[in-house]
Amino acid sequence: MNVQIQHISDTEWKIPMGFVPGMLVPGTFFLSRQLAERLEEGALIQLANVATLPGILRCSLGMPDIHWGYGFPIGGVAAFDEDDGIISPGGVGFDINCGVRMITTPLTMADITDMNGLIEDLFTTVPSGVGSKSPTRLTQNDLSNILTDGLASAVELGYGMEDDARRCEENGTMIEADLEFVSKKARERGIPQCGTLGSGNHFLEVQVIDEIVDPKTASVFGVTEGQICVMIHCGSRGLGHQVCTDHLKVLEGAMMKYNIDPPDRQLACAPLFSLEGEAYFGAMAASANYAWANRQIITHLVRELLVKKFDVAYEEMPLVYDVAHNVAKWEDHEIADTAACRRHVCVHRKGATRAFGPGRSEIVREFRNTGQPVIIPGSMGTPSYLLAGTMTAMERTFGSTCHGAGRILSRSSAKRNLTGVAVVNELAKRGIVVRAPNTTTIAEEAPDVYKPSSEVVQIAHDAGISRIVARLRPLGVIKG
Amino acid sequence: MMTFEELEHTADVRMKITAPSLLDLFVESGFALAEILYGEYQKEPETISFPIEAKGNEVVESIVNFLSELLFLTETEYLVPVSFDLAAEGCVVSGVVAGVLFDRTKHTGGIEVKGISYSGISLAKTAAGYELIIIFDI
Repeated sequence: MNVQIQHISDTEWKIPMGFVPGMLVPGTFFLSRQLAERLEEGALIQLANVATLPGILRCSLGMPDIHWGYGFPIGGVAAFDEDDGIISPGGVGFDINCGVRMITTPLTMADITDMNGLIEDLFTTVPSGVGSKSPTRLTQNDLSNILTDGLASAVELGYGMEDDARRCEENGTMIEADLEFVSKKARERGIPQCGTLGSGNHFLEVQVIDEIVDPKTASVFGVTEGQICVMIHCGSRGLGHQVCTDHLKVLEGAMMKYNIDPPDRQLACAPLFSLEGEAYFGAMAASANYAWANRQIITHLVRELLVKKFDVAYEEMPLVYDVAHNVAKWEDHEIADTAACRRHVCVHRKGATRAFGPGRSEIVREFRNTGQPVIIPGSMGTPSYLLAGTMTAMERTFGSTCHGAGRILSRSSAKRNLTGVAVVNELAKRGIVVRAPNTTTIAEEAPDVYKPSSEVVQIAHDAGISRIVARLRPLGVIKG
Repeated sequence: MMTFEELEHTADVRMKITAPSLLDLFVESGFALAEILYGEYQKEPETISFPIEAKGNEVVESIVNFLSELLFLTETEYLVPVSFDLAAEGCVVSGVVAGVLFDRTKHTGGIEVKGISYSGISLAKTAAGYELIIIFDI
């Protein structure tokens, strides 16, 4: 670990002011000593770079899955002041509202007699990988509705149940969406891809709940031991990627006007209330809505298949929750070190999950006493976790926690050291079926390239920024 | 010699791309992007072609914009690039990219690219020509 980094507690580290020139606040990240030793210098610099951005409040934060990305580190969280803060696509990423959701089913292990067959059927049903096309036939008008209304619009088109929206961050709609700032190119990329998984770390996983850690909260979340669940991880596809590309260009050009000169070009940004900043925010919100609709359509395809294969009722597969990983949002937070006042701030989460604690009005009523459900996916061979948001997260991390295990090995190292076939065979020995369009992705996404999910989640739990409710064991995985 | 190689990067694909001239650097960058998307693939005779143009205030920006345009064509036209016929004037590059339609049975082994990042981007003049370091978000 870099000698300038200060060890604050078992799970907390501090990057002091001056680590990079121009820092306005310090950096803080949450890791165990063991995992901190493996953190790349690049991630530390990126966390410190974020601390130089105008209007940043309190500190630049790294969640327990922090690693080297571009612009913000992956696992980066920062809140910006309403009056003099900025908005940056580098704090959201190309895959706007990449996120994860989970549905429960009435099925148990005893019902799944042919996991290979189920995974094969899911692979055929849900388009994935490079060049995949959606089974939906969206019109331009459908797309406009999706960009405006998000999940609700997908439900209106017949993909899901009305209750799904209640179990989704923001109810599946960011009302700030502004279609005027979503380009024709973005729309062209978006129409054929709504209802597709994508590739890379995106996945669809069949899991079983193998341990309930907090029975009371699990009961409120509607999960029980032995239950078969399905987890879906994907984002806003080419539409969101194009929105990021388009607006980065605009913001790059605008920075001189606002006298902003960030240390990394990918941190291009503009004041929150500027023409360029508001345009990006409107387009980003529309892309977030598209991502919620995308996950909703995939969920519908999965539910329909399970209805057909197992004769279960569609309504018996409710959404537990849907969380966004890459997004910027307006939220109210107590900024303790600025006269203990409640402030309206723009929170950027890049590879991080909102983890609002009990009492927040943004959470649906049934979860208001427990804190919101937080879904942390594992990595094909490692468990996923269901957690709950906490008051500590509200106080320390602007209501945020980690979003996954976090990579420790590069993709090139993974490919050098592993083959996809070997990974598939190894997982098969452990009873996990893996299916992908090609084996290269499987090698790049092998469990060994990620931090152990249990360690990362334990750090989040120990640091108090979310608390473990249940553990889910993977049974079958589709990688894009 | 024109070439590209993958460098270490934890989350994404970081490439070193070299070429004897700036124009060749655009071409090699295009092929680097294609190889991430499709893995190594046979360059079959072209059946489709599209005009492509990109500009920027400086060369690095032109390259990022060029790659973004190419990425757009791969996603919306299902283009797998086989050849580039480009000309450059200042920081404007334009021409034609030709190739074949994406075929899931032939163009396997790749991964989607979400965008072309400015993070850590660098362009250097070397004894052999030019060297570009660039991150593709995947």
